[in-house]
Amino acid sequence: MKYVIIGASAAGINAAQTIRKLDSQNEILLISKDDRVYSRCMLHHVIAGKRSLDGISFVSPDFFTQNALQWIKGTGVRDIRFAERRITLEDDQSVAYDRLLIASGASASLPPIKGLAGAPNVFTLRDISDVQRIGAAAQAGKTALVIGAGLVGMDAAAGLLEKGLHVVIVEQADRLLPLQLDRTAASNYQTLFEQAGAEVYTGVTITEALPSGNGGPVQSVRLNDGTVIPCDLVIAATGVRPNTGFIKDAVLTMNDGITVDEQMQTSLPDVYAAGDVTGRSAIWPLAVKQGIVAGSNMAGTSKKLTDGFTAKNSINLLGLETVSLGLVHAPDPSYEQATLNHHGVYKKIIYKDGVVHGVILQKEISRCGFWTQVIKEKLPIEPWPADIFDLNYAAFYQIAPNGRYQYARAL
Amino acid sequence: MKRIMIDKDRCNGCLNCSLACMAEHNPAGKSIYVLNLTDIRNESRNFIALDRSGKPTPIFCRHCGEPECVIACMSGAMSRDPATGRVTYHPEQCAACFMCVLSCPFGVLKADTAERKVIIKCDFCGERETPRCVENCPNRAIYLIEVSEE
Repeated sequence: MKYVIIGASAAGINAAQTIRKLDSQNEILLISKDDRVYSRCMLHHVIAGKRSLDGISFVSPDFFTQNALQWIKGTGVRDIRFAERRITLEDDQSVAYDRLLIASGASASLPPIKGLAGAPNVFTLRDISDVQRIGAAAQAGKTALVIGAGLVGMDAAAGLLEKGLHVVIVEQADRLLPLQLDRTAASNYQTLFEQAGAEVYTGVTITEALPSGNGGPVQSVRLNDGTVIPCDLVIAATGVRPNTGFIKDAVLTMNDGITVDEQMQTSLPDVYAAGDVTGRSAIWPLAVKQGIVAGSNMAGTSKKLTDGFTAKNSINLLGLETVSLGLVHAPDPSYEQATLNHHGVYKKIIYKDGVVHGVILQKEISRCGFWTQVIKEKLPIEPWPADIFDLNYAAFYQIAPNGRYQYARAL
Repeated sequence: MKRIMIDKDRCNGCLNCSLACMAEHNPAGKSIYVLNLTDIRNESRNFIALDRSGKPTPIFCRHCGEPECVIACMSGAMSRDPATGRVTYHPEQCAACFMCVLSCPFGVLKADTAERKVIIKCDFCGERETPRCVENCPNRAIYLIEVSEE
């Protein structure tokens, strides 16, 4: 019996650890393009010079020996022949498996802007090689243009600012971090970034990068309102695509990524998928959970994914922290809102008929975790408190005989 | 593994547990006589919150079997030791992303008040036989039990 895992990030590593906990005997082999284990969420700290590459590993140095894991690193997968249960690697090695987990993640894709593709000073921020290339291109005083003010773009912008670059952020939505924040919370970040020397353009699109089409470096970009912004390097942070290019065998069912059931099994027996490659994980904790569920089932212990909640983000940029859960805006007038805004602390709760659907907390996020549960489970809050911002887990307190906390339905 | 069991009905909100926690983790020394209650850099890892009828409710880290804080941690700063069942926080590895704060289902975790850079998290009093909060509860509202958690 041989387990093979493609990918060594959140899902792959957690699957490997889970299999080893349940099966101390059989061989577990990881195959990864990455030649080290690292947290992509910390890459911008490397750009900023705040962390070394070793400093962004999320496992201990002896993780592979401790868990008796084999690892083929620095090599991608070229092809999988599912009927023969055999993988061909990019270096021509051939690997057989009995149970397979595909946790190959996703890759950043360039937006379809004329002149970006092929330019040597245009980068994405997804892996260590990106950081190394950005580091080589970025010297203090230069201008970096960041396309897309989502979580990755804003992390990149913060890292480059901390490194001493001039940063210009361009976002087509009307505000920074449009998926996570409302206008108030976003404008607080915009103020902070502008105070740190960044320029922010929202509600605009880039029509072309100049000079376009010669394969040379991008020297400026033109916006749809005609503005031309000079730049020395470009970071494109506009989205990712599941890494499924090596799956040429059409027997595996795909949607946005690899289709899986609640046990993370694909359309094929003994083939599982977890993490970004499923197109359904989006946030680190969910990739970890999918990896644990996949690993558990692969090792013969039945487990289902009980949590698919992805509308959960925590942001900490330039020393301002924000959490965002569920809805960012009330979808229609039937929803009510409670807000609090003073001394830089901003809070907003969106609710309807005693059920909370969205929470944004900025600068004061202490002990807010219970909100994740309340929103995810749509727990009714009855009666509605005089001050909803004072609510905490004590309102739901219930304890099991083994000392686990639970949620009392009735308050 | 051991867990701090809670009998909410016996808690009268005296906060001895919180003072004990602060004293135990005070860099200036563990005696209650050197505890400076106005020092925001020394916070209790447990807290007593009032429920909706004003009844004190002890909220203490459960050192969960499948800890949401560990699952949420992308830096490796949170880990669970299967041998002891303890969920341990390593501040030097922490990237202050606060996903653990958002993910703790019971809202136990918070960032430190002074710097907002590290997490305030129960460490079960390290080498101590009995956590100091438990030792200092006059009402046995918190006490140790042995549980199997895998």
